[in-house]
Amino acid sequence: MKIAMIGWEYPPFKAGGLATHCYGLTRSLADKNINIDFYMPKTKQKVSSDKKNLIIKEIGETEVFPYDRPEDKELEGHFFESVYRYNDLIVEKVEGNYDLIHCHDWLTMKAGIRLKDKLGIPLILSVHSTEYDRSGWIYPNQWFIDIEKEGMEKADKIIAVSHFTKRVIVEKYGINPNKISVVHNAVYPLGKDKKKNIVLFLGRLTIQKGPEFFLRAARKVLDYLEDTQFVVAGTGEMLPALIDKAVDLGISNKVIFTGLLTEDEVKHIYRISSVYIMPSVSEPFGITALEAISAGTPTIVSKTAGVAEAFNNCLKVDFWDIDEMANKIISLIKYDPLHKTITKEGMQEINLFTWKRVAEKTIDVYRGVS
Amino acid sequence: MTSICLYFEVHQPFRLNRFSVFNIGENNKSYSNYFNKKLNQEIFEKVARKCYIPTNQLLLDLINKNEGKFRISFSITGTFFEYCEQHIPSVIDSFKELFKTGAVDLIEETYFHSLSSLYDDLDEFEDQVKMHRQLIRNLFNYSPKVFRNTEAIYDNRIAKKVEEMGYKGIITEGTEKILHWRSPNYIYKAINSNLKVLLRNYNLSDDVGFRFSSQNWNGFPLTADKYANWMAKTDGNLINLFMDYETFGEHQWTETGIFNFLEHLPGEILKHNHLDFVTVSEAIDRYDIMGEIDVPWAISWADEDRNVSTWLGNDMQIACFNELKNIGKKIKNTGNQDLINTWRKLQTSDHLYYVSTKGFKDGAVHSYFSHYDSPYEGFINYMNILQDLKQKII
Repeated sequence: MKIAMIGWEYPPFKAGGLATHCYGLTRSLADKNINIDFYMPKTKQKVSSDKKNLIIKEIGETEVFPYDRPEDKELEGHFFESVYRYNDLIVEKVEGNYDLIHCHDWLTMKAGIRLKDKLGIPLILSVHSTEYDRSGWIYPNQWFIDIEKEGMEKADKIIAVSHFTKRVIVEKYGINPNKISVVHNAVYPLGKDKKKNIVLFLGRLTIQKGPEFFLRAARKVLDYLEDTQFVVAGTGEMLPALIDKAVDLGISNKVIFTGLLTEDEVKHIYRISSVYIMPSVSEPFGITALEAISAGTPTIVSKTAGVAEAFNNCLKVDFWDIDEMANKIISLIKYDPLHKTITKEGMQEINLFTWKRVAEKTIDVYRGVS
Repeated sequence: MTSICLYFEVHQPFRLNRFSVFNIGENNKSYSNYFNKKLNQEIFEKVARKCYIPTNQLLLDLINKNEGKFRISFSITGTFFEYCEQHIPSVIDSFKELFKTGAVDLIEETYFHSLSSLYDDLDEFEDQVKMHRQLIRNLFNYSPKVFRNTEAIYDNRIAKKVEEMGYKGIITEGTEKILHWRSPNYIYKAINSNLKVLLRNYNLSDDVGFRFSSQNWNGFPLTADKYANWMAKTDGNLINLFMDYETFGEHQWTETGIFNFLEHLPGEILKHNHLDFVTVSEAIDRYDIMGEIDVPWAISWADEDRNVSTWLGNDMQIACFNELKNIGKKIKNTGNQDLINTWRKLQTSDHLYYVSTKGFKDGAVHSYFSHYDSPYEGFINYMNILQDLKQKII
């Protein structure tokens, strides 16, 4: 079987979980003797593959990141243009004897639809997030919704990263549930290190990821346990506002904003943190939770996050429930038996979340259309 | 002759309120916010409607219909009777009526369905057994002769203590761990005392308790005549069928046909001339000791492991257990009855059961019985309350 997979990011070029997913998925598919040509925009970093049936094809150049918003100042004016340009380029460049096309999220959906017609082969669409998630369900942008809806309608099969996302696809986009399969994400386990008294947030600093709730919970925790260190890792449009917020809350000396971290730094911070929190307002899956758990870090996730429906050995809260979030952070720090047990059970459960399993389930979907 | 000894465990715990770290030390005087009154009342009334009331009525009818040949035994916890008193006192009356038939025996246990038998000193265990003894005497004017510890937890030390307290028999699990090649269908005796031991036939008991409505079990559907035939073919003096009373109408819903099954069971069993029913006291009076059992490490009837790992299987459970155990002396020294009573309600084994992290199969059972989203939530809540209690006695 030969697949044309149309992506946007691939490690080491990485803006979010999409890169992590494409990396794990393509490598495990290759191990299962699927031939993959992975198309992506040319970047400054050199992307490569060590598997002979997985070929990375970098085409053109573009300055749009998958999580950019059209309202971003620098992009204003040529945002839509850049997206169209990349999609046109893909349609032009993708040629060959493929059995099917596999696209991820909105950025390459237009190209996927046109390639389906051009090559006369089935289209598989993976949905890692929708416009509703990225906007935190506040003023979702109709332009994205329209693209997403068209792609979902034209796709032969859809892979959703959670039942939560499947419901959004059915309810907000009106798609037939029978053509949607749920495949939960996976992780390459990081392994643990000696813990420091750090409570970690790691992710894009956007409304969707709920960093403000993290700071407000931090305030509550510090009233109770004043020696706790909080780290906000990552960058995004809310960074300046969050720094102000930390000052307002009087906790600026207890919160470190690291900015964007390298991959090694990310691994390190996961490993030495005592608690990881993912207070997302809307989270289709949340691979970072699996990464933290695999680094032996007890994790608190938003109840509605996709990972919460799939993973047992983590703590779950409503993202807006600051008191409960603080209760759980303090309990994890204060009660060693809790920290030990959830770490141990979590690291055991994480072994079930392999990319091999993701590849197997994805192949099942492929077989259903070819 | 082979006797069927049918015995039901009747219990409800006082489930806890949401209690966060911020609630610790908030209220100096009261413990009333430890327990979730609303949830507890709701659950009790629901289970009473689905199980206690209709099953008591059915059993009474069956005893009358079979002119006392259908005989059963109950172990009813003190916390359960407190629920009845507070919410539906007529449930107590229906148990009294059952007892009056003479076909019903009552079994002793700890008032609070606790793990006090696993403490270093057995004084608290003894106190709780005496409380239960007093309760049964007050309600039924009766003194049980047979003892059943919480979830059938048993070891040599417990057997010795129970004998010292004047009981003639004890109930525990008929597990291969202690029986090896031997059959559970006889009376045994504890190795270090003369206490007679009744062993639960877990295969036949679980056919009803767990598997009754399981469609991928090859015994499905289980009918009264089929079940009676299995028993007719079983060797031994005594078949001990011990199960949760809530099996009827709660664990197994009415729709599964469980009541229909129970209704026909006595008749189907009594069709076989070599089968009859006995209560637990009659069982130990009638049959001779067939062998000894030696149990240095505690066993129980819970989960697949049949040990105490259900309550003490992880660090969180052990931490809570130790907290409770270690504040015992201080609590008792205060002489404050309200405080002592609260501490005892917190000893009910269910609180630790909710904190179990055991694997898939048992875990599924655990989450069915738990009102928490996860064992971790169970731990945080329980431990926060224990910390609050601790602060109150400093």
